[in-house]
Amino acid sequence: MDKLNMGKHISNKFNEELEAVRNRVLSMGGLVEQQLSDAITAIQTADVELAEKVLSNDHKVNKLEVQIDEECVHIIAKRQPAASDLRLVIAIIKTIADLERIGDEAERIAKVAKESFSNDQQQLLVSLENLGHQILTMLRKVLDAFARMDLDAAYEVHRQDEQADRQYEALTRQLMTYMMEDSRSIPKIMNVLWSARSLERMGDRCQNIAEYIIFFVKGKDVRHVSPESIERTVKGDRAP
Amino acid sequence: MISVSPNNASEKLDLANLTDDQRALEIKNLSLYYGEDRALHDISMSVPKHGVTAFIGPSGCGKSTLLRCINRMNDLVESCKVKGDILLHGKNIYDKGVDVAALRRRIGMVFQRPNPFPKSVYENVVYGLRLQGIKDRRVLDEAVERSLRGAALWDEVKDRLNASAFSLSGGQQQRLVIARSIAIEPEILLLDEPTSALDPISTLTIEELITDLKQKYTVVIVTHNMQQAARVSDQTAFLYMGELIEYANTDTLFTTPMEKRTEDYITGRYG
Repeated sequence: MDKLNMGKHISNKFNEELEAVRNRVLSMGGLVEQQLSDAITAIQTADVELAEKVLSNDHKVNKLEVQIDEECVHIIAKRQPAASDLRLVIAIIKTIADLERIGDEAERIAKVAKESFSNDQQQLLVSLENLGHQILTMLRKVLDAFARMDLDAAYEVHRQDEQADRQYEALTRQLMTYMMEDSRSIPKIMNVLWSARSLERMGDRCQNIAEYIIFFVKGKDVRHVSPESIERTVKGDRAP
Repeated sequence: MISVSPNNASEKLDLANLTDDQRALEIKNLSLYYGEDRALHDISMSVPKHGVTAFIGPSGCGKSTLLRCINRMNDLVESCKVKGDILLHGKNIYDKGVDVAALRRRIGMVFQRPNPFPKSVYENVVYGLRLQGIKDRRVLDEAVERSLRGAALWDEVKDRLNASAFSLSGGQQQRLVIARSIAIEPEILLLDEPTSALDPISTLTIEELITDLKQKYTVVIVTHNMQQAARVSDQTAFLYMGELIEYANTDTLFTTPMEKRTEDYITGRYG
């Protein structure tokens, strides 16, 4: 919070506006985290009711995205933010777009949770849950990092995505073997595969959010650059 | 300590290492005293040619004082003492024997409030040329049209060149003053808060004009309006309590300043 220096503007109203929009991003993050957590639990426990809840809550995430975007537009129009304030507003606009997409992916997983799987197929769901928990941990960490604008935590999440990608690949191989062994199960397994793909995409989006945090703190755009270059940026001098 | 941000885009100038061809003016270890008070502390920077350089900073930071040093307007202030060099084409403008009137022909200045002379539009523009002894009507007519066009005012006043300059609006008067300055074809144009007395539309017209002016002249502008500095300038210097805190390409300074004091000022925080 201190790093944001949000309470130090001469204009108190501006302080309040930034604080309000930041709080709303944190609420949106909390909601998306809950959606993902519920979607994973729904798969784990074959809880159709919980899956329905996830589906019906998605509009709340969408609504928050629109609301935050609008607030950011007002801040840009009225305050013409510069330097760290500008970077914060840009980071928020980009973060909420990724959060909204994570919400959409959670909805997709919840749809799969509504289907019934045979006992044999349950084993596959366990692997999916493992990947799900890993992504959920990444999401929690990146939201924490966003709340504190914690560069080191953001960098850690950024690196964790590689592990998630490896786990996704392993799961894909496992699912393909299953499909080859029992072609009648292909439709169901395809759904599991789509869910795994959704989770993997969520990991990428957490990585994106980590990049926006690095952009805010360091003032450098680290998208589409080598891991070495990101490391140099993270360990180099910080913006004031 | 002055931060000069590194050059991070090929089209941007490396302000710390300008070549002689790129440099219009070099300020070296400049300090200025009003009696015992030191108003400028050891300022060193290079102003690139054919660009707009903005000085920003809170009231009393020395930005107007620094601007006035560039054409020796501070000579008119009693008890003012200048140390250090300002090099124009490698020669110090503070050297003994420099003809100050000739210097001010090369380095023109426009002030905060439009200050046309109580004469016609035409006579205002040719005033400097007449001082130089130019009498040929054709030369003067040509200069009037060229200067007024250069100041984006020709279309508005071409039918009333003999009307009093005071009959023009504030924005038009300021453009007339700019036309008067460019009539004598200076190399450098100093603008001291040229739009602070103008309405938003006139301000935008002048800003548009500044962008055109830099094709032919080097422009140095002092402004209280940070968004204006961000809009019109190519490089920006932030001054605070007489010190040059940061000097960088404008895009860099307004998105990722290196110094906390710059950051606090441009984001409107308590310093």
